[in-house]
Amino acid sequence: MIINHPLLGPRDAAEFVYLGDASLMDRPDGMTASDEEMHDYMYLRDNPAGEHRELWYHEQGDRSWLVVTRNTLTHEITMVELARDVARSRGRSK
Amino acid sequence: MASLTPAPPLGGYDMTFGELRLRECSELALVSLALPLGDEAAAKKAIKSSLKLDLPAPGMSAVNDTHRLIRMGPDQAMLIFADDAALAEPAVQTALKGACYTTNQTDAWVALSLAGPGVRDVLERLCPLDLHDATFPVDAAARTVMEHMGAMIVREEQDGFVLLSASSSAGSFLHAVETSIGYVT
Amino acid sequence: MSQSNRLTGGLIDRSVSVNFSFNGKNMQGFQGDTLASALLANGQRLVGRSFKYHRPRGIFSAGSEEPNALVQLRKGAAQEPNTRATMAELFDGLEATSQNHRGSLERDFMALTDLFAPFLSAGFYYKTFMWPKAFWERVYEPIIRSSAGLGRLSMQPDPDVYDHGYMHCDLLIIGAGPAGLAAALAAGRSGAQVVVADEDFLPGGRLNAETYAVEDMAGADWAAQAWAELQAMDNVRCMTRTTVYGAYDHGIYGALERRTDHLAASEGRPRQVLWRVYSRRAVLSAGATERSIAFPMNDRPGVMLAGAVRTYVNRYGVAPGKRVAVFTNNDDGLRTAADLKAQGVEVTGIIDARKGESLATTWGRKGLTAVGTASGRSIEADCLAVSGGWSPNVHLTCHQRGRPDWREDIAAFVPGADLPPGMSVAGAANGAMTLAAALKEGHAAACAALGDLGLSPAAGDAPKAEDETFDIKAFWHAPGKGRAWVDLQNDVTAKDVKLARTEGYRSVELLKRYTTLGMATDQGKTSNMLGLAVLAEASGKSIPDTGTTIFRPPYSPVAMGAFAGRARGKDFRPNRLTPSHKWAEEQSATFVTTGNWLRAQWFAQAGEKGWRDSVDREVVQTRRSVGICDVTTLGKIDIQGRDAAEFLNRIYSNAFLKLPVGKVRYGLMLREDGICYDDGTTARFSENHFVMTTTTANAVLVFRRMEFARQCLWPDLDVHLISTTDAWAQFAVAGPNARALLGKVVDDLDLSNEGFPFMACAECTVCGGTPGRLFRISFSGELAFEVAVPARYGDAMIRALMQAGEEFGAIPYGTEALGVMRIEKGHAAGNELNGQTTAANLGLGMMVSKKKDSIGSKLSEREEMNRDDGLRLVGLHPVDRNDMLNAGAHFVELDDHHPDMFSDQGYMTSVAWSPELSHSIGLGFVKRGKDRIGDIVRAYDPVRGKDTKVEIVSAHHIDPEGVRQRG
Repeated sequence: MIINHPLLGPRDAAEFVYLGDASLMDRPDGMTASDEEMHDYMYLRDNPAGEHRELWYHEQGDRSWLVVTRNTLTHEITMVELARDVARSRGRSK
Repeated sequence: MASLTPAPPLGGYDMTFGELRLRECSELALVSLALPLGDEAAAKKAIKSSLKLDLPAPGMSAVNDTHRLIRMGPDQAMLIFADDAALAEPAVQTALKGACYTTNQTDAWVALSLAGPGVRDVLERLCPLDLHDATFPVDAAARTVMEHMGAMIVREEQDGFVLLSASSSAGSFLHAVETSIGYVT
Repeated sequence: MSQSNRLTGGLIDRSVSVNFSFNGKNMQGFQGDTLASALLANGQRLVGRSFKYHRPRGIFSAGSEEPNALVQLRKGAAQEPNTRATMAELFDGLEATSQNHRGSLERDFMALTDLFAPFLSAGFYYKTFMWPKAFWERVYEPIIRSSAGLGRLSMQPDPDVYDHGYMHCDLLIIGAGPAGLAAALAAGRSGAQVVVADEDFLPGGRLNAETYAVEDMAGADWAAQAWAELQAMDNVRCMTRTTVYGAYDHGIYGALERRTDHLAASEGRPRQVLWRVYSRRAVLSAGATERSIAFPMNDRPGVMLAGAVRTYVNRYGVAPGKRVAVFTNNDDGLRTAADLKAQGVEVTGIIDARKGESLATTWGRKGLTAVGTASGRSIEADCLAVSGGWSPNVHLTCHQRGRPDWREDIAAFVPGADLPPGMSVAGAANGAMTLAAALKEGHAAACAALGDLGLSPAAGDAPKAEDETFDIKAFWHAPGKGRAWVDLQNDVTAKDVKLARTEGYRSVELLKRYTTLGMATDQGKTSNMLGLAVLAEASGKSIPDTGTTIFRPPYSPVAMGAFAGRARGKDFRPNRLTPSHKWAEEQSATFVTTGNWLRAQWFAQAGEKGWRDSVDREVVQTRRSVGICDVTTLGKIDIQGRDAAEFLNRIYSNAFLKLPVGKVRYGLMLREDGICYDDGTTARFSENHFVMTTTTANAVLVFRRMEFARQCLWPDLDVHLISTTDAWAQFAVAGPNARALLGKVVDDLDLSNEGFPFMACAECTVCGGTPGRLFRISFSGELAFEVAVPARYGDAMIRALMQAGEEFGAIPYGTEALGVMRIEKGHAAGNELNGQTTAANLGLGMMVSKKKDSIGSKLSEREEMNRDDGLRLVGLHPVDRNDMLNAGAHFVELDDHHPDMFSDQGYMTSVAWSPELSHSIGLGFVKRGKDRIGDIVRAYDPVRGKDTKVEIVSAHHIDPEGVRQRG
């Protein structure tokens, strides 16, 4: 597979490490979250046959975490974003 | 007690294979620069005024007579220059007046210069990147993986590259490069 | 035997003769021959025995589709079984032997198997060997094992080396036949980066095997000229002997280049190179493969594909027989007869299925002598050229689950619409069965691909040729008595296919697995289509309604060595060496692999009888005076930024916000689910600058996780990470004399307990000006420091430390002594942080701050993780001090006569011989452990047959108050 890094261009997936569903970014604050919220964050994932937003880490590259939109049926990758941008857009400030 | 004598990871290796030369660049110092969040503009300005270099785009490096500055990522760069390794980082820190966070990386890496005709034939057995002139011109720089080892590659000239990898596995990295040379020449 | 079947002409170099041997018999061929063409030139028709029935077999094809002519090539360690004689280039001194027979090739004892053929039908394994049950292991399986398998391994390590490589191109062209060459010329002339690869050593594909003309010259000459033009272009990479074997995601193709297989010896150069080709577009111009017709006794040596007959005649100047008959359902049969006649070979008959003619049988035990037609005519022939039509080589179009479509007009499957992204197909591979059409399609495919990439094709049209006729009438299976082979390599007959269908294997995917049709090393290149047609006929369905199997990589077999590349033996993975490695070697250290690191495990001295002697001495001397250990391998992460302290506070479960500058703190990291993940120390060198250590094993993982937290969870914290693991050589100096020793080494720093107390850290210089860092931390429980210098001073540093320690009798210690001392001290390590334990289990529950949010803090509060009767870390002593403890033992009560998982009280994690206490000690987890100090339980270890009484004690076997490390 090839991941088209938004800053560095196409790179072989061998340079990356896979983590999983991009919802792992949506970590609730442990001081305010309910048990259910924390449980759901930790253990529940969608497993779609089709488009999936997922986290990849460019470990053998610039160390950026990326949000890759990949079709799990065809492996087609339709979008690659810097995770830090996505995180900010999801309101993950201090 | 007498001061300690430094020993570069490959002992100053320098060999020629036909017209190819493979050399450990033990004279190089490496200092990483991190751009403080929110103060990137000030950091860039400090880099410009103290080092006379524009911070390049990710994937590229900027070079003057003494220094090469590689953009490693969105908020990180690596400064490479010939210097006494032990003193490199404080000097850079002073020059930048604290506008970047600096870390001495000299000893974390081994640097090998590989230059000569046919250098790309050697590299295509090692380096997964597209090194065609159009996609990896002179001064291009990238981190990647070679023979299971994290590596950095910089194109210094048309037929000359600098390869950097972890200093602890310097012997394995040298072996990988030497093997590639042996297999294609 | 001279080259009795050699004709004139061909694309071989008659000025270079080549000596080779087959089954020990010396023969001669020419440069440019394959082993197959040279064997045929020498009149050798019988070349092997079939897999199941040990039937005599001959050369069937002239390419990579060969099912029959599999030989052992070379001698000794370099020998390779199952080499296709049709792909093996002849070289001087080549030695080949036939395979799959006991006794000689001519008199194979195993040929008796053929007499039992009626009992060996499809699925015979499952039917025959059922009874008596006990016979399976003792009788049937050993017999089957000894007769199974094809070819022999040398049972020696492969003496050749292999390599991997990476190529990048705008356009990859797969196959250099007419379509591929036309595509390559169009793309090459446009200036695009092109790779053109062909599995043959002579580019041109069928142009070398036929008598067609291109651009008013002989097709083979045109191909040679086109190739020369391509080779002269800087932007075109021309690769022969290179099989593109797989189409992977996003335009990546696997290609195997055979670099020395055509040479007598590889002389240290890679035998094969496995290329990963990154292409923006690809043109598949892989041609087509001819298939046979199923007719009775169609497997005799001398029965050959018609296209192969033309290849041998036209390309190699070899007559596959002296009197050739032709059996065809298309125009290729007539073309074969014409080419044979042009070379003066006698054609004894043409059986054209389109005219309703067919064959009913053949004769000749070890080589064809005659064929019998359906109308009862007997035709003498020592070679029968068969053409059942051509199947486009759609293989690579299926590698991403594309399904081919049926085309009735050419009676073949062609690539479907769902091609791998970026791929187009041209020429015979696309069902364009004539030369002019192939050239046009190749040219057009390249131009279209260039257009897609925004490149402009060079001016010019496709190369010109005449369109030959291609008329075919589907004809698959000639009825008649006797076995009609469908799959020659796996010995599957038309009857097997029909039987399997009768038994319920209606799906072609199931049929294939039940009968093994198409599952041999040739992957059914010549047989799949035929098998499908026989199934369709038996089912009374059309071929498209019957279905088709699709293909997986590799297109043709790839040696395991090629996949392994350089990753063999010592080169399997890189080695990481500590800065004191050379010095440690000089001290006769024994090394242990931890991840990629090599660490000194112990340092044997003269007179020591075993590792325990060395380790005990190292522990005793460290505790008595001073010992030095290289701890460079611990992960080190440089953390800087205005929010660095806040970041650490969220990463570690314990508080870090108020760690003073110049201090170190132990930190515990949890997983988000509350289980302990890693631990280490973090030092604060300035307000915004911390240095973290991680365990050796988790260095990379912790860094990754922290980058995740930094970028994905809290992107607006100003914090920056960089690994400095390799940048610093770090040495632990431990023992009562550690301070005195370091006082001689460290410049201008007050090392007194007041000036540099426990958990202090400082930047300093050592040995008169070398920059360094000093930490007062202790893993051994002794008064201890860790001193770090830039890695290039590491070798000099260990020598300076040892020199300074001489007066104290300082010794180096390895990882074993390190382990003993941490067990004595009761420090948890990997055995305790084992992915199942919580902070509470480790007795570190107080370290999970409830005043702040940190990773894992919330879920660590779950009820089940906080039970009062949960496991707690304790120490264990054997009641009988002579007993040796074992890690892995489970604790059960003294009166527990039926230990099981319900009565289990915990388990032992780490054990060591304690030189300090002079007996075996252990660490382990016991339920309610803290309340059970002083209790006696059993360490029950049924795996090792041990049952030992142990006393539960504090985990801190020595110095529980920590007087030593604070002194």
